[in-house]
Formats: sequence, structure tokens, C-alpha cells
Amino acid sequence: MSKNPSNLKNIDRLIHEPTRLMIMTQLYVVESADFLFLQHQLQMTPGNLSSHLSKLEEAGYVEIVKEFIERKPHTALELTKKGRKAFKEYQQNLEQVFTNLPK
Amino acid sequence: MNKKMSLREVEKRTYMSYHQDGLIDIFVGVYVLLFALGILLMTVTDFSTWFVIPAIFPAVMVPIWVSAKKRLTMPRIGYVKFGSRGANKLMAIFIGLMVAGLGAFMVFTFASRSQGWALTLRNLIISNGMIIIGIGAAVISSLFAYTMGLKRLYVYGLLTLALFLAGHFINIPFGYFLLAIGLVIVINGFVLLIQFMRKYPLSQGDEVNVEKSL
Repeated sequence: MSKNPSNLKNIDRLIHEPTRLMIMTQLYVVESADFLFLQHQLQMTPGNLSSHLSKLEEAGYVEIVKEFIERKPHTALELTKKGRKAFKEYQQNLEQVFTNLPK
Repeated sequence: MNKKMSLREVEKRTYMSYHQDGLIDIFVGVYVLLFALGILLMTVTDFSTWFVIPAIFPAVMVPIWVSAKKRLTMPRIGYVKFGSRGANKLMAIFIGLMVAGLGAFMVFTFASRSQGWALTLRNLIISNGMIIIGIGAAVISSLFAYTMGLKRLYVYGLLTLALFLAGHFINIPFGYFLLAIGLVIVINGFVLLIQFMRKYPLSQGDEVNVEKSL
């Protein structure tokens, strides 16, 4: 990938999709959140949220941790180090695009 | 666009949505009621050791609050773990409240004597008690409001300050003001809790089945 920050091609299109951007932003400001919280916070249907989370997990941006809390199954979601780095780079690239726009 | 400000706003909104259940209001209101009872009991029986209870209440409150969150909030809205920065700030406030409560206990115990500096301090507290409590409550409430992003806590603090300033000039026993404020906050907390439980009913539907497929 080119390192020229002003190039629109540097925008991570996986994150750039509006729904996934909302997911990444929400997970970025917390340490972890579970599926139900994300669903309520982002007002998404379970199927839609699951679909986007799967794509983010395939890319290595989100880690899905299944555990038991008081004998009940629980799915925690958190950004991986790769995911946090990718999100920061996405922000920087997007800011650079707007900065370089002709006045 | 200011990157840090936008993410900070998202973080604050996330925090607010996780604390819309009214539990904080209920516990803060009970804390205020305990102070009110302590002051009213002192006017009747000189029972200054009652102030030990508000001093240790924060230590008792935290595990009860955590348990209430697990039983009432988490099954309805889900679970979120915030970064350590916010948790450390809250813990610092709770510890500060315990220290303030113990400090108040020590001051009142010293002031209960009837000679020298103790008598002077006692007269000062009695003559300006309303203002002291009003300012203290406003400061504590504002600290919680700023840390947690819950703006209604600013309103509680201002309401307390306004009532106590008025009480300083109207000359009504301030225990009753504190009682009224505590009741207002507790009732508002229960109203918020009921609204929260209606907005987020318990569900074992689609989200659970889809969650299992991840």
C-alpha cells in the first residue's frame, strides 16, 4: 500500500463502510463490550451486527472472546492491537484527505 | 474535525448510556438521606457518632452497586468494560468521599466539646452549617458529574446549593432540607430505573441466537 497520506486509496475500505466505522469507533473508546451492548448502542439488528463483526474478525481487527460469567455464556468483543492501529491510521488518512482538499 | 474531542464525546455518550438506569441516583440519594438522618438525630439526642455511617457507606455502596448493575442493568443493556482511566477516577472520588466523611466525623466530635477552639469551631459550624453543606454537596456532585458525564448530577448539586443557601437565611433546620433533597434524588433514581427497565426489557430472542453463531 502506498504511504502517501493524501491518497484516497490509503483509506481502509473495510473500516470506511459506515456501519463498520460505527462498530470500530464504539469499540475504540472502550476496553471491551458485549454483543448486546453494541446492538443497543448502535441500534442494529442482530444479524446485521453479526455480519459486520465477522468481517472485522476475519481482518484481525476485532477479537471475539467467548466466556462464561456466572454460568451464562457471554461474548465479549474488543479491538485487537492491529484493529486499534488500523483505526488510528484510518483517522489520520481521512484527516489528511480533508486537509489536502483545495480551498 | 478535532479527533480527540469527537472520540471523547463518543466515550461520554457510551458512559451516559450505561448509567441511565438511575442506580447512581438511588445510591447518592440514600447517601444524602443518611447525612440528613444523622443531622436530625443530633438535634434530638446529640448522637454525633451517627456520622460514622455516612463515612463508611461508600465502601459498602460499591459492592452493592456492582451487584445491582449485574442483576438489573447488564441483562438488559449488555456489558461494557471501560478503560482504567475512568475507573481510577471514580475510585479516587469514592476514597475522597470516605476521607471527607471521616474528616467530618472527627471535626464534629472535636466540636462537640465545650471549650477553647472547639467551642469557636462549633459556633462557626452551627452559624454557617447550611452554606458549608451546600457548597460541599455542590462540589462532590460536580466531581461525579464531570467524571461520569452525567449532567443531571450538576443539577442535583445546584439544587442542593440553592436550597441550603436559602435555608441559611430562612432559618429552618437544615436536616430537613437535606432530607428533602435526598428524597428528590432517590425518587428520581427510581423513576429513571423504571423507565430504563421499560425501555430495555429482558429478552432471550434473536440477539442470543445470532450471538451464538459468531
